[in-house]
Amino acid sequence: MDQPRYFEDVHVGDELPRLAKGPLTTTHLMRWSAAMENWHKIHYDRPFTLEHEKLPDLLIHGSFKQQFLMQLLKDWAGTTGWLWKAAFQFRAMNRVGEIVQAWARVTGKQPTANYGLIDLEIGIVNAEGTESTPGTAVVALPFRSGPSLPYPFVPPEH
Amino acid sequence: MADSRCGELFTTGIGVKHLNDAVLKYVGLESESELACDPVEQGAVRRYAQAIMDDDAAYSAPGPANAKYGGPIAPALFPTHMFRRPFGTPDDIQAHAHDPNFDGIGAAAAQGLPEIEPLKHLGLLNGGLEVELFRYARHGERVKLKSRYLDISEKETSKGSMVIVVIETEYRNGADELLLRVRRTQLRR
Repeated sequence: MDQPRYFEDVHVGDELPRLAKGPLTTTHLMRWSAAMENWHKIHYDRPFTLEHEKLPDLLIHGSFKQQFLMQLLKDWAGTTGWLWKAAFQFRAMNRVGEIVQAWARVTGKQPTANYGLIDLEIGIVNAEGTESTPGTAVVALPFRSGPSLPYPFVPPEH
Repeated sequence: MADSRCGELFTTGIGVKHLNDAVLKYVGLESESELACDPVEQGAVRRYAQAIMDDDAAYSAPGPANAKYGGPIAPALFPTHMFRRPFGTPDDIQAHAHDPNFDGIGAAAAQGLPEIEPLKHLGLLNGGLEVELFRYARHGERVKLKSRYLDISEKETSKGSMVIVVIETEYRNGADELLLRVRRTQLRR
Protein backbone atom coordinates (compact mmCIF):
# COMPACT_ATOMS: atom_id res chain seq x y z
CA MET A 1 0.00 0.00 0.00
CA ASP A 2 1.21 3.48 -0.78
CA GLN A 3 2.03 5.89 2.00
CA PRO A 4 -0.80 8.39 2.37
CA ARG A 5 -0.06 11.77 0.91
CA TYR A 6 -1.48 14.72 2.81
CA PHE A 7 -2.26 18.26 1.76
CA GLU A 8 0.37 19.55 4.17
CA ASP A 9 3.09 17.43 2.50
CA VAL A 10 2.79 19.25 -0.81
CA HIS A 11 4.35 22.58 -1.75
CA VAL A 12 3.97 24.89 -4.71
CA GLY A 13 6.77 24.18 -7.14
CA ASP A 14 7.02 20.49 -6.26
CA GLU A 15 7.69 18.32 -9.30
CA LEU A 16 6.13 14.87 -9.48
CA PRO A 17 8.42 11.99 -10.42
CA ARG A 18 8.08 11.65 -14.18
CA LEU A 19 6.38 8.63 -15.73
CA ALA A 20 8.25 7.35 -18.79
CA LYS A 21 6.69 5.09 -21.43
CA GLY A 22 8.36 3.59 -24.41
CA PRO A 23 9.89 3.38 -26.82
CA LEU A 24 6.33 2.99 -28.06
CA THR A 25 6.53 0.53 -30.93
CA THR A 26 3.96 -0.39 -33.57
CA THR A 27 3.08 -3.33 -31.34
CA HIS A 28 2.27 -1.02 -28.44
CA LEU A 29 0.06 1.08 -30.69
CA MET A 30 -1.68 -1.98 -32.11
CA ARG A 31 -2.26 -3.35 -28.63
CA TRP A 32 -3.89 -0.09 -27.57
CA SER A 33 -5.99 0.06 -30.75
CA ALA A 34 -7.21 -3.47 -30.06
CA ALA A 35 -7.91 -2.79 -26.39
CA MET A 36 -10.25 0.06 -27.26
CA GLU A 37 -11.34 -1.26 -30.67
CA ASN A 38 -10.26 1.84 -32.54
CA TRP A 39 -9.10 0.91 -36.01
CA HIS A 40 -7.84 4.26 -37.26
CA LYS A 41 -5.14 3.27 -39.73
CA ILE A 42 -2.77 6.11 -38.87
CA HIS A 43 -1.74 4.11 -35.82
CA TYR A 44 -0.77 0.83 -37.53
CA ASP A 45 -0.93 1.00 -41.34
CA ARG A 46 2.30 2.70 -42.39
CA PRO A 47 1.72 2.78 -46.20
CA PHE A 48 -1.73 4.32 -45.68
CA THR A 49 -0.36 6.81 -43.16
CA LEU A 50 2.54 7.96 -45.30
CA GLU A 51 1.08 7.74 -48.79
CA HIS A 52 -2.60 8.49 -48.26
CA GLU A 53 -2.56 10.74 -45.20
CA LYS A 54 0.84 12.31 -45.96
CA LEU A 55 1.92 12.00 -42.35
CA PRO A 56 5.58 11.56 -41.39
CA ASP A 57 5.02 8.20 -39.67
CA LEU A 58 2.55 6.22 -37.57
CA LEU A 59 1.23 8.38 -34.75
CA ILE A 60 0.86 7.63 -31.07
CA HIS A 61 -2.84 7.97 -30.22
CA GLY A 62 -3.89 10.99 -28.21
CA SER A 63 -6.11 8.62 -26.28
CA PHE A 64 -3.01 6.54 -25.46
CA LYS A 65 -0.98 9.50 -24.25
CA GLN A 66 -3.76 10.76 -22.03
CA GLN A 67 -3.65 7.46 -20.13
CA PHE A 68 -0.09 8.21 -19.04
CA LEU A 69 -1.11 11.52 -17.52
CA MET A 70 -4.00 9.88 -15.74
CA GLN A 71 -1.70 7.17 -14.37
CA LEU A 72 0.89 9.67 -13.18
CA LEU A 73 -1.70 11.71 -11.30
CA LYS A 74 -3.67 8.75 -9.98
CA ASP A 75 -0.58 7.09 -8.57
CA TRP A 76 0.61 10.33 -7.01
CA ALA A 77 -2.76 10.94 -5.35
CA GLY A 78 -2.77 7.38 -4.00
CA THR A 79 -5.81 5.65 -2.61
CA THR A 80 -6.24 8.31 0.08
CA GLY A 81 -6.36 11.10 -2.51
CA TRP A 82 -8.44 11.61 -5.62
CA LEU A 83 -7.67 12.86 -9.09
CA TRP A 84 -10.65 15.13 -9.55
CA LYS A 85 -9.95 17.04 -12.75
CA ALA A 86 -7.59 16.83 -15.69
CA ALA A 87 -7.60 18.83 -18.89
CA PHE A 88 -5.17 18.66 -21.76
CA GLN A 89 -4.79 19.70 -25.36
CA PHE A 90 -3.27 17.65 -28.13
CA ARG A 91 -0.90 20.22 -29.56
CA ALA A 92 1.69 18.12 -31.35
CA MET A 93 2.15 14.70 -32.85
CA ASN A 94 4.22 11.96 -31.28
CA ARG A 95 5.54 9.36 -33.70
CA VAL A 96 5.90 5.64 -33.27
CA GLY A 97 9.18 4.72 -31.62
CA GLU A 98 9.30 7.72 -29.32
CA ILE A 99 9.83 7.57 -25.58
CA VAL A 100 7.43 9.93 -23.86
CA GLN A 101 7.40 11.25 -20.32
CA ALA A 102 4.34 12.45 -18.44
CA TRP A 103 5.20 15.24 -16.02
CA ALA A 104 3.44 17.44 -13.48
CA ARG A 105 4.29 20.38 -11.26
CA VAL A 106 2.36 21.85 -8.34
CA THR A 107 1.17 25.36 -9.09
CA GLY A 108 -1.23 26.03 -6.25
CA LYS A 109 -2.94 24.81 -3.10
CA GLN A 110 -6.43 25.53 -1.90
CA PRO A 111 -7.77 24.30 1.42
CA THR A 112 -11.50 23.61 1.54
CA ALA A 113 -13.66 22.72 4.50
CA ASN A 114 -12.92 18.99 4.51
CA TYR A 115 -9.87 18.46 2.29
CA GLY A 116 -7.30 20.29 0.22
CA LEU A 117 -7.04 20.82 -3.52
CA ILE A 118 -3.73 20.73 -5.35
CA ASP A 119 -3.45 22.54 -8.69
CA LEU A 120 -0.98 21.15 -11.17
CA GLU A 121 0.46 21.97 -14.53
CA ILE A 122 0.85 18.78 -16.58
CA GLY A 123 2.18 17.62 -19.91
CA ILE A 124 3.95 15.05 -22.02
CA VAL A 125 7.38 15.53 -23.55
CA ASN A 126 9.42 13.34 -25.86
CA ALA A 127 13.17 12.73 -25.77
CA GLU A 128 13.77 16.05 -27.56
CA GLY A 129 11.78 17.85 -24.89
CA THR A 130 8.95 18.78 -27.24
CA GLU A 131 5.71 19.31 -25.35
CA SER A 132 2.72 17.64 -27.02
CA THR A 133 -0.01 17.52 -24.41
CA PRO A 134 -0.04 20.56 -22.11
CA GLY A 135 -2.74 20.90 -19.51
CA THR A 136 -3.80 21.27 -15.92
CA ALA A 137 -5.13 19.03 -13.18
CA VAL A 138 -6.64 19.21 -9.72
CA VAL A 139 -5.97 16.52 -7.11
CA ALA A 140 -7.80 16.35 -3.79
CA LEU A 141 -5.79 15.30 -0.74
CA PRO A 142 -6.88 14.84 2.88
CA PHE A 143 -5.62 17.02 5.70
CA ARG A 144 -3.20 15.23 8.01
CA SER A 145 -5.62 15.49 10.91
CA GLY A 146 -8.77 15.61 8.81
CA PRO A 147 -11.38 13.12 7.63
CA SER A 148 -10.90 10.75 4.72
CA LEU A 149 -11.95 11.98 1.31
CA PRO A 150 -15.53 11.12 0.40
CA TYR A 151 -15.96 8.29 -2.09
CA PRO A 152 -17.60 8.68 -4.53
CA PHE A 153 -15.84 12.02 -4.68
CA VAL A 154 -17.91 15.05 -3.72
CA PRO A 155 -16.56 18.32 -5.14
CA PRO A 156 -16.29 21.25 -2.76
CA GLU A 157 -19.13 23.71 -2.62
CA HIS A 158 -18.30 27.13 -3.93
CA MET B 1 -14.85 7.22 -30.98
CA ALA B 2 -12.86 9.18 -33.46
CA ASP B 3 -9.29 9.45 -32.30
CA SER B 4 -7.68 11.75 -34.73
CA ARG B 5 -4.17 12.85 -35.36
CA CYS B 6 -2.81 16.14 -34.15
CA GLY B 7 -1.26 19.02 -35.90
CA GLU B 8 -2.21 18.10 -39.44
CA LEU B 9 -5.47 18.06 -41.29
CA PHE B 10 -7.32 15.58 -43.42
CA THR B 11 -8.84 18.25 -45.61
CA THR B 12 -8.63 21.98 -45.83
CA GLY B 13 -11.15 24.70 -46.29
CA ILE B 14 -8.95 27.75 -46.08
CA GLY B 15 -10.84 30.97 -46.01
CA VAL B 16 -14.20 29.25 -45.89
CA LYS B 17 -16.65 30.25 -43.18
CA HIS B 18 -18.59 27.34 -41.80
CA LEU B 19 -20.59 28.73 -38.91
CA ASN B 20 -24.21 29.37 -39.81
CA ASP B 21 -27.68 28.61 -38.48
CA ALA B 22 -27.59 25.10 -39.90
CA VAL B 23 -24.54 24.41 -37.75
CA LEU B 24 -25.50 26.39 -34.67
CA LYS B 25 -28.82 24.59 -34.34
CA TYR B 26 -26.83 21.63 -33.04
CA VAL B 27 -25.74 23.52 -29.91
CA GLY B 28 -27.68 22.10 -26.98
CA LEU B 29 -28.73 19.00 -28.89
CA GLU B 30 -28.69 16.00 -26.55
CA SER B 31 -28.30 12.34 -27.30
CA GLU B 32 -30.53 9.64 -25.95
CA SER B 33 -29.12 7.71 -23.02
CA GLU B 34 -27.04 4.94 -24.58
CA LEU B 35 -26.08 1.73 -22.80
CA ALA B 36 -22.69 0.20 -23.58
CA CYS B 37 -23.15 -3.16 -25.28
CA ASP B 38 -21.12 -5.01 -22.66
CA PRO B 39 -20.68 -4.56 -18.91
CA VAL B 40 -17.26 -3.82 -17.43
CA GLU B 41 -15.61 -7.16 -18.20
CA GLN B 42 -12.60 -8.39 -16.25
CA GLY B 43 -10.86 -9.53 -19.45
CA ALA B 44 -11.46 -6.22 -21.19
CA VAL B 45 -10.09 -4.38 -18.15
CA ARG B 46 -7.00 -6.60 -18.16
CA ARG B 47 -6.34 -5.96 -21.86
CA TYR B 48 -6.87 -2.24 -21.39
CA ALA B 49 -4.64 -2.01 -18.29
CA GLN B 50 -1.91 -4.03 -19.95
CA ALA B 51 -2.13 -1.90 -23.09
CA ILE B 52 -1.60 1.30 -21.10
CA MET B 53 1.06 -0.49 -19.02
CA ASP B 54 -0.59 0.25 -15.68
CA ASP B 55 -0.63 -2.90 -13.58
CA ASP B 56 -2.45 -1.29 -10.67
CA ALA B 57 -3.64 -4.01 -8.28
CA ALA B 58 -6.97 -2.18 -8.04
CA TYR B 59 -7.80 -3.40 -11.56
CA SER B 60 -7.45 -7.12 -10.85
CA ALA B 61 -8.62 -9.10 -7.84
CA PRO B 62 -10.39 -7.87 -4.70
CA GLY B 63 -7.89 -6.62 -2.16
CA PRO B 64 -6.62 -3.64 -0.20
CA ALA B 65 -5.99 -1.63 -3.39
CA ASN B 66 -9.68 -1.55 -4.29
CA ALA B 67 -11.46 -2.17 -0.98
CA LYS B 68 -12.30 1.52 -0.75
CA TYR B 69 -14.05 1.31 -4.12
CA GLY B 70 -16.08 -1.78 -3.35
CA GLY B 71 -14.01 -4.25 -5.38
CA PRO B 72 -12.01 -4.45 -8.60
CA ILE B 73 -12.33 -1.38 -10.78
CA ALA B 74 -11.52 -0.27 -14.31
CA PRO B 75 -9.09 2.55 -15.13
CA ALA B 76 -10.71 5.96 -14.80
CA LEU B 77 -11.20 6.54 -18.54
CA PHE B 78 -12.25 2.97 -19.35
CA PRO B 79 -15.97 3.91 -19.55
CA THR B 80 -15.19 6.31 -22.38
CA HIS B 81 -14.03 3.36 -24.50
CA MET B 82 -16.91 1.01 -23.78
CA PHE B 83 -19.19 2.17 -26.54
CA ARG B 84 -18.44 -0.29 -29.29
CA ARG B 85 -20.32 -1.86 -32.15
CA PRO B 86 -23.09 -4.07 -30.77
CA PHE B 87 -24.12 -7.37 -32.37
CA GLY B 88 -26.44 -6.96 -35.30
CA THR B 89 -25.17 -3.56 -36.45
CA PRO B 90 -23.42 -2.74 -39.75
CA ASP B 91 -19.74 -3.66 -40.02
CA ASP B 92 -17.94 -0.58 -41.36
CA ILE B 93 -14.68 -2.42 -41.80
CA GLN B 94 -16.19 -5.08 -44.04
CA ALA B 95 -18.31 -2.50 -45.84
CA HIS B 96 -15.12 -0.63 -46.78
CA ALA B 97 -12.98 -3.68 -47.49
CA HIS B 98 -12.53 -2.59 -51.11
CA ASP B 99 -12.12 1.13 -50.37
CA PRO B 100 -8.43 2.10 -50.27
CA ASN B 101 -9.38 5.53 -48.93
CA PHE B 102 -11.13 4.18 -45.85
CA ASP B 103 -9.25 5.44 -42.81
CA GLY B 104 -10.56 2.79 -40.44
CA ILE B 105 -12.89 4.97 -38.40
CA GLY B 106 -15.54 6.10 -40.86
CA ALA B 107 -17.93 8.83 -39.78
CA ALA B 108 -17.06 11.24 -37.02
CA ALA B 109 -18.82 9.34 -34.28
CA ALA B 110 -19.69 11.71 -31.48
CA GLN B 111 -20.57 9.82 -28.32
CA GLY B 112 -24.16 9.09 -29.19
CA LEU B 113 -24.77 12.37 -30.99
CA PRO B 114 -25.61 12.69 -34.68
CA GLU B 115 -22.90 13.97 -36.99
CA ILE B 116 -23.15 17.72 -37.72
CA GLU B 117 -24.28 17.39 -41.30
CA PRO B 118 -22.93 20.71 -42.66
CA LEU B 119 -19.47 19.88 -41.26
CA LYS B 120 -19.39 16.33 -42.54
CA HIS B 121 -16.95 17.11 -45.33
CA LEU B 122 -14.42 18.71 -43.00
CA GLY B 123 -11.39 17.08 -41.46
CA LEU B 124 -11.48 16.14 -37.81
CA LEU B 125 -8.81 16.72 -35.19
CA ASN B 126 -8.86 15.63 -31.58
CA GLY B 127 -8.22 18.95 -29.86
CA GLY B 128 -8.20 17.79 -26.27
CA LEU B 129 -10.12 16.61 -23.30
CA GLU B 130 -11.40 17.85 -19.97
CA VAL B 131 -12.25 15.16 -17.47
CA GLU B 132 -13.97 15.36 -14.10
CA LEU B 133 -13.88 12.14 -12.10
CA PHE B 134 -16.27 11.10 -9.38
CA ARG B 135 -16.21 7.33 -9.14
CA TYR B 136 -14.60 4.31 -10.77
CA ALA B 137 -16.61 1.77 -12.75
CA ARG B 138 -16.45 -1.60 -11.03
CA HIS B 139 -16.16 -4.96 -12.73
CA GLY B 140 -19.59 -6.21 -13.76
CA GLU B 141 -21.25 -2.80 -13.81
CA ARG B 142 -23.17 -1.50 -16.80
CA VAL B 143 -22.23 1.92 -18.14
CA LYS B 144 -24.37 4.38 -20.05
CA LEU B 145 -23.69 7.75 -21.57
CA LYS B 146 -25.57 10.88 -22.45
CA SER B 147 -24.01 13.61 -24.56
CA ARG B 148 -24.78 17.07 -25.81
CA TYR B 149 -23.21 19.58 -28.11
CA LEU B 150 -22.06 22.14 -25.57
CA ASP B 151 -20.63 24.76 -27.88
CA ILE B 152 -19.73 25.37 -31.50
CA SER B 153 -17.56 28.29 -32.48
CA GLU B 154 -15.25 29.30 -35.29
CA LYS B 155 -11.95 31.08 -35.36
CA GLU B 156 -9.45 32.18 -37.93
CA THR B 157 -6.06 30.55 -37.82
CA SER B 158 -2.96 30.82 -39.92
CA LYS B 159 -4.28 27.85 -41.90
CA GLY B 160 -7.74 29.30 -42.43
CA SER B 161 -10.98 29.12 -40.52
CA MET B 162 -11.52 26.35 -38.01
CA VAL B 163 -14.70 25.20 -36.32
CA ILE B 164 -14.38 24.21 -32.66
CA VAL B 165 -16.98 21.73 -31.46
CA VAL B 166 -17.24 20.95 -27.74
CA ILE B 167 -19.13 17.83 -26.73
CA GLU B 168 -19.97 17.09 -23.11
CA THR B 169 -20.66 13.52 -22.11
CA GLU B 170 -21.68 12.09 -18.77
CA TYR B 171 -21.02 8.44 -17.99
CA ARG B 172 -23.12 6.75 -15.33
CA ASN B 173 -23.39 3.24 -13.97
CA GLY B 174 -26.53 1.11 -13.95
CA ALA B 175 -27.62 2.70 -10.68
CA ASP B 176 -27.42 6.10 -12.38
CA GLU B 177 -24.41 7.15 -10.30
CA LEU B 178 -22.16 9.64 -12.07
CA LEU B 179 -18.77 8.13 -12.93
CA LEU B 180 -17.20 10.92 -14.91
CA ARG B 181 -17.94 13.95 -17.04
CA VAL B 182 -15.91 14.54 -20.17
CA ARG B 183 -15.67 17.54 -22.47
CA ARG B 184 -14.10 16.76 -25.83
CA THR B 185 -12.88 19.43 -28.19
CA GLN B 186 -13.08 18.55 -31.86
CA LEU B 187 -11.39 20.78 -34.38
CA ARG B 188 -13.02 20.77 -37.81
CA ARG B 189 -11.36 22.26 -40.82
